[in-house]
Amino acid sequence: MTRIPLSLIINGQTHEVLAEPHRTLLDVLRTDLGLIGTKENCLEAECGVCTVLLEGAAVNACILLAAQCQGRAILTIEGLAAPGQLHPLQQAFIDHGAVQCGYCIPGMILAAKAYLDENPEPDENGVREALAGNLCRCTGYQRIIEATLSAARALRASPSSACRETAR
Amino acid sequence: MTFDYHEPTSLREAIELGARFGVDGRFLAGGTDLMVQIHRGRLNPRHVVSLQCVPGLDAIEVDGAISLGARVTHRRIETTTDFQGALRALVEGAEVVGGHQVRNVATVGGNIVNASPAADVVVVLLALEARLTSLGPAGERTIALDGFGTAPGVTVLRPNELLTRASFPRLAPRTATAFLKAGRRRAMEISIACVAARLTLDAALERCQDVRIALGAVAPTAMRARSAERYLEGRPLTDEVTREAGRIAATECRPIGDVRASARYRALLVATLVPRVLARCLERIRFHTS
Amino acid sequence: MTQVTRIVGRSVPRMDAPGKVTGTALYAADFALPGMLYGRVLRSHEPHARLVRLDTSRAARLPGVRAVITAPDVPDVRYGGSVKDERVLARDRIRFAGQPLAAVAATSPDAAAAALAAIEVVCEPLVPVLDVAAALAPGAPLVHEAWASYTALPILHRDRNVCNRARIVVGDVERGFVEADRIFENRFTTSSVHQGYTEPRAAVAQWDSSGLVTVWSNTQLPFEIQTTLAEILQLPPSKVRIIVPGIGGGFGGKLRIGMEHFAALLAMRTGRPVKVMTTSEEELTAAYPRQPAIVEVKTGVTNDGRLTAREARLWFDTGAFAGSGPGVASVATLMLAGPYRIPNLLLEGFAVYTNKTNFGSFRAPSGPQANFAVESQMDIIADALGLDPLELRLKNIVREGEEGPTGQVLTAVGLEECLRRAADAIGWRDRRPRAGRGKGIACGWWTTTGGSSGVYVKINPDGTVALNTGAAEIGTAALTGAAQVLAEDLGVQLADINVVSADTLSTPYDFGAQGSRTAFAVGNACRAAVADLKRQILALASKHLGVEEHALALREGSVVGEGKRTTLGELARISQASGGGLIAHGTFVAPPTPYDAKRVEGHVYPAFHSPSFHAHAADLSVDAETGEITIHRYVVAQDVGFAVNPAAIEGQIEGGVAQGLGQALSEEIVYENGRVLNANLTDYKMPTTLDVPRVESILVQHPTLVGPFGAKGVGEPPNIEPPAAIANAVASATGVRITTLPITAEKVALALRARAT
Repeated sequence: MTRIPLSLIINGQTHEVLAEPHRTLLDVLRTDLGLIGTKENCLEAECGVCTVLLEGAAVNACILLAAQCQGRAILTIEGLAAPGQLHPLQQAFIDHGAVQCGYCIPGMILAAKAYLDENPEPDENGVREALAGNLCRCTGYQRIIEATLSAARALRASPSSACRETAR
Repeated sequence: MTFDYHEPTSLREAIELGARFGVDGRFLAGGTDLMVQIHRGRLNPRHVVSLQCVPGLDAIEVDGAISLGARVTHRRIETTTDFQGALRALVEGAEVVGGHQVRNVATVGGNIVNASPAADVVVVLLALEARLTSLGPAGERTIALDGFGTAPGVTVLRPNELLTRASFPRLAPRTATAFLKAGRRRAMEISIACVAARLTLDAALERCQDVRIALGAVAPTAMRARSAERYLEGRPLTDEVTREAGRIAATECRPIGDVRASARYRALLVATLVPRVLARCLERIRFHTS
Repeated sequence: MTQVTRIVGRSVPRMDAPGKVTGTALYAADFALPGMLYGRVLRSHEPHARLVRLDTSRAARLPGVRAVITAPDVPDVRYGGSVKDERVLARDRIRFAGQPLAAVAATSPDAAAAALAAIEVVCEPLVPVLDVAAALAPGAPLVHEAWASYTALPILHRDRNVCNRARIVVGDVERGFVEADRIFENRFTTSSVHQGYTEPRAAVAQWDSSGLVTVWSNTQLPFEIQTTLAEILQLPPSKVRIIVPGIGGGFGGKLRIGMEHFAALLAMRTGRPVKVMTTSEEELTAAYPRQPAIVEVKTGVTNDGRLTAREARLWFDTGAFAGSGPGVASVATLMLAGPYRIPNLLLEGFAVYTNKTNFGSFRAPSGPQANFAVESQMDIIADALGLDPLELRLKNIVREGEEGPTGQVLTAVGLEECLRRAADAIGWRDRRPRAGRGKGIACGWWTTTGGSSGVYVKINPDGTVALNTGAAEIGTAALTGAAQVLAEDLGVQLADINVVSADTLSTPYDFGAQGSRTAFAVGNACRAAVADLKRQILALASKHLGVEEHALALREGSVVGEGKRTTLGELARISQASGGGLIAHGTFVAPPTPYDAKRVEGHVYPAFHSPSFHAHAADLSVDAETGEITIHRYVVAQDVGFAVNPAAIEGQIEGGVAQGLGQALSEEIVYENGRVLNANLTDYKMPTTLDVPRVESILVQHPTLVGPFGAKGVGEPPNIEPPAAIANAVASATGVRITTLPITAEKVALALRARAT
């Protein structure tokens, strides 16, 4: 099988990979690049654990061909904050007890980020609507919603806290 | 299992590739259906032709007739200012598909050519009397959306043709649209029944001057409820009349029972949702003209 | 009694949260080794068939394929916890659609999938046993013709397709029915639902040159998997090492062997590490989802609402293998009694073989099915007698010091408080505020599973503490809770504790993350370890400081006394230099709960240890035309004994309710002719953010004598009452009683229509 050279801009860094054309971004992230923070489950865009941001928009990496991402900017959970630091969403998820098993959380946080980037003053219903594509089986969502609303407040109060990564 | 990937950069090149691969090829837009079908082993294309670098497929035009490029995403429909008024049904149809992740990539064109009887936006476009434009080696042709799908997953589009846009006429004065769906959950649902309507009232805002009602997930393709439409024309839109329209629509639809719902419940939903959709239209017209 | 505490009783963030929010936490599904192959399992399409031939020759020759194994390549072993009735790969008989027939290992997932497609299966279909009724019919085909010859727990009552009949007999039900003014007989059915963990089951296996196989898997029970895998591989357990790197949810679905045996066998065959991970289709066709159930309840009651007798039977479809079925059928009988004082009981739970997947344990196994039936019936009784459902319950619930159904003496019974507070919170006085809107209540009880736990606790030379436990953290924050107990007792901060867990080679034994027991049992083991450590610490400190032991005290990481002070770190350094370090082995096993053995038969779970009590209340509206249900408010009052970490417990309640509402309203694995119709997450409908209401939690605290600081098990109970609470609220709103789960809009709409005509 022919493999095609791909240049993927992930978390601000360019990664060169050779991949068969049918392979998904999810597979390449996890298998070739070791970026296991992006999770794998249903592979049919139903559960949201593989959510990454493609040019700022939340997408399911499981139904996106890696080839479609040539030269496009991808943000994964690993790039949300500098090493050793936490994005306000990450901090809020910890503080609000929004995490249980945690497997849905990277995708959840990225979906929340995409939403907050466009809607800095969200209400509860808006957050619920924005996260409807991310299944969580542990939490009942309540603390996830609260954490997201709280992170929105923190981001409004101190927008610089997220500047570093949005500049990427 | 595996395929070659192509990324044409012009419509012409896309058509050429489509013509060359014929049934071995598939155009890829958002991939929300194609990639799932491939994952389930139901489709096994040898060539996947991505449309993401083809210019001119993602325009929304609202001067004169309204036109949606094939690659316009659901999310863009939701957020288009021009659709927040009388064309609200488009937004209502788009915003109930999948989650944000799906709507960020799922396209109008993909939704139409997949020919799922439950495709929400297609049902809205049917009520708007949309016509489709396709491009093939023989040039461009237009096809009415009504009749475009012939069975689940089957359309009159030829293998070497590419759907480029869907367009529909501007709405007449005193017109509104609305869309409602039913599913087991409040999100991430494939409709078990959905209804779209475009309603035009007479000058007195009493009687139905013109109406189009489209139904989803209650026949092998999205369908118009023509008997209900005929019944409504010229009648005052009382609760009794709209309920009767619902009953008529319920008798003309041809639902099946499957894992999502029984045929009987689907018909019951049509009977219920038709009057509700009409009531919404009425409310909107009266609100906007008062 | 108010306890003054520093760390327990506080809502501290869970210890593993930072890794989970940054994507660095490692799960079994993420685990990989250099040179690793990818395994896949070929599964039967037929629900019941004679396997004639498997031709793997073409598959074995495909590029990238390194091994194809079928039954003859595997030791001929039948395994199973209560009945040894299952083999790794079908040998000559296929018993469910989804049963493993062969396994392959290849250099890529694609090559493995291609190999599966290239295996030729020839089988002769047999008439399948599709459900419990078919299995119990006279002359029904036997799912296991040789059932009588199987090794099984001697206590089980087995007969043909019934792999256990558990029974509780108290008093004389016939006499009880004679004493009753009214007798109510109702039948309920429930569907199978999947645990829905977001991380698929996964295992990576690697053999070393000594013949030891290490398996990294997301099991909830590493020590049970070690035993089972050793049995399958015909090895001593010491040659099997199970490590749990991390689990993305379990809820009981990851108790029994998952992918570990396939990974181990393929790794043995290829000499390479092999990873096997399930697809969503495999999860929904061939995992351990909740048993579908038929429940018949006959209850006698006096006109003033006193329960005189109950005769109830619950039949579980256990699928092709016994698995958890015999045990779950036993627990079911205690749940059929409910938390009520009923003098005469005849309660039976059956686990019945059919040609379906081996239904298993799902958070409070048997709880929701039995509770849906008995709590629905309580409302039916109340309506018929013209009594308030809350008053009917209060009249009959068990009280402090009374007997449970099998004679156990109940203590720390917080049920009345739960019922009253839930009812107050939901606004019970106005329970039918308008047409189409209504409130429902349901209550229940549950066990805190026993079993033993051991921990090693070590003081590091920098004063930090290592907690080494055999339990896995499955997401409940139970190990954060245990660490809070440890920090509290040892006088250190939570941040000073690091947890090492779930490695059968290096961690002490633990009965595992099941039955709401982890924080309870591991927490108690920590207390025992601290007691030992304190003796060591004080002895050493006394020598070091020259102060008598009785004059010393542990405070904030130090030992102080008579104006002198030394740190735990310093003592650890001294001990390391002179005595091998400060380390203690703490153990705990829940004391047996006395019960009356004469009341039970075929019973593997005759009493509830440190039982918890709970009440749920729902306020909802029903669309009279579409049947759609909108939940406005949902309240849970749960007696948790003592809330070690209130926020974490509320999280358990919120999540358990969400899962319970899925079972109540939208989820079901739909079978047709033995095959699953909805084996994907498009049509298996778990609640989304827009489906789950806010849940209001009320933590009631009636401390047990056994649990750490009085804590009871808390993880499973919130999953029990939602179906009954919703059914009762729907009936209150509409007058329509739905007796089958899930309570879909369709069922409600069609029932409303049927009543109107």
